[in-house]
Amino acid sequence: MKEILKEIEERFGPIWERVQRPKLAQVGIEPAKAVPLLTWLKEHRGYVTLVHLSAVDWIEQGEFQLTWLLGNPETEERLMICSRIDRENPAAETVSGLWPQAVTYEQEINEMFGVSFPGSPRQGVPFILEGWKDIPPMRRDFDTVAFVEKHIPGREGRKHIDTRTYIGEKFGEKGYLHD
Amino acid sequence: MDDKIVKPEPPLGGPPQGSRPHAPVGDGCFLGEEMKPQAPSYKEALARIKNWFRANSLWVMAYGTGCGAIELRPLATARFDMERLGIAMRPTPRQSNVLIVSGYLAVKSLKRVIRSYEQMPSPKWIVALGSCTINGGMYWDSYNTINRLDLYLPVDVYINGCMPRPEALVAGFQELMRRIKKGEADGWRHYMENLDWYKENQKKIITDWDLPEYNW
Repeated sequence: MKEILKEIEERFGPIWERVQRPKLAQVGIEPAKAVPLLTWLKEHRGYVTLVHLSAVDWIEQGEFQLTWLLGNPETEERLMICSRIDRENPAAETVSGLWPQAVTYEQEINEMFGVSFPGSPRQGVPFILEGWKDIPPMRRDFDTVAFVEKHIPGREGRKHIDTRTYIGEKFGEKGYLHD
Repeated sequence: MDDKIVKPEPPLGGPPQGSRPHAPVGDGCFLGEEMKPQAPSYKEALARIKNWFRANSLWVMAYGTGCGAIELRPLATARFDMERLGIAMRPTPRQSNVLIVSGYLAVKSLKRVIRSYEQMPSPKWIVALGSCTINGGMYWDSYNTINRLDLYLPVDVYINGCMPRPEALVAGFQELMRRIKKGEADGWRHYMENLDWYKENQKKIITDWDLPEYNW
């Protein structure tokens, strides 16, 4: 993994890197260089599989982190390409031209985090949430419990019964004492 | 030991108190014939016969909504073999009369479940499986799952547990058959009589409503 990380650094400038396991490494790179890096890895270094594309909400830093997980089926090595984009009006470049399955990932991230991928088909088309009007639910400032209490009616919970008190009242003090 | 049958209770603040408790189902709406007024004993006997037939001819729609559907495979196959009870799976709603809502229901799949339920022919029953259909279960605070099924569809038998074992499901089906034979399982009639109330609840939770008012 060391050689490929060194080569990336020579070609694409300064990166943040971490080797997690002998065959898994993490690379952080600025968003403008992410898609050129992914293209180069796919075309010239055998990382032909897009295993996963995910997003993380770093609300304290005001950033979203996108992670493309690439796989090299010949050497069985995996590379995580991480890139942080601004949380206000988040947008990233699409990789749906390189991997057709990225369309679904980008559609889901668009729905769940509100990150837009201009040029990717099916952006804004409902994936799971049909008729959603609130802020995207996977953002960390979305209050799930408040949303449920407001919109989803439930059943009132049962009265809480303290087992010890209940047995004590019903069977006397000795009901729960092992003597 | 947690698995036991819970009889459905009328929803809180509930629908207009209609005909849910009343027993005889033999008014000819299933056979499609106008029945002339007869002596009560004859009518009652016919209703009992019809209910006996119905109870022994349960066709389950092969549709699983949540993780509970995994319990239907051992139930349908050799291990627990629900065909010995006269229950079998059918692939489409128009050929079946029992709908098992197995586990949590996302709002998206609630829409499909409503659509399937309304396409089923009329003496039809819903078996709600798992805690999620009763009070939301472990998904009670999820932004996308409903917490009470009986606000949207009439439930005849609840089977609680997370997950209920196939034995509990067999017990639930026996309870359903007992209720059908007694003429108590008339959730479908309750749905037709209180359609406005159910539709109002459904439209509250399904925000992009594009279903027909009723699929006859």
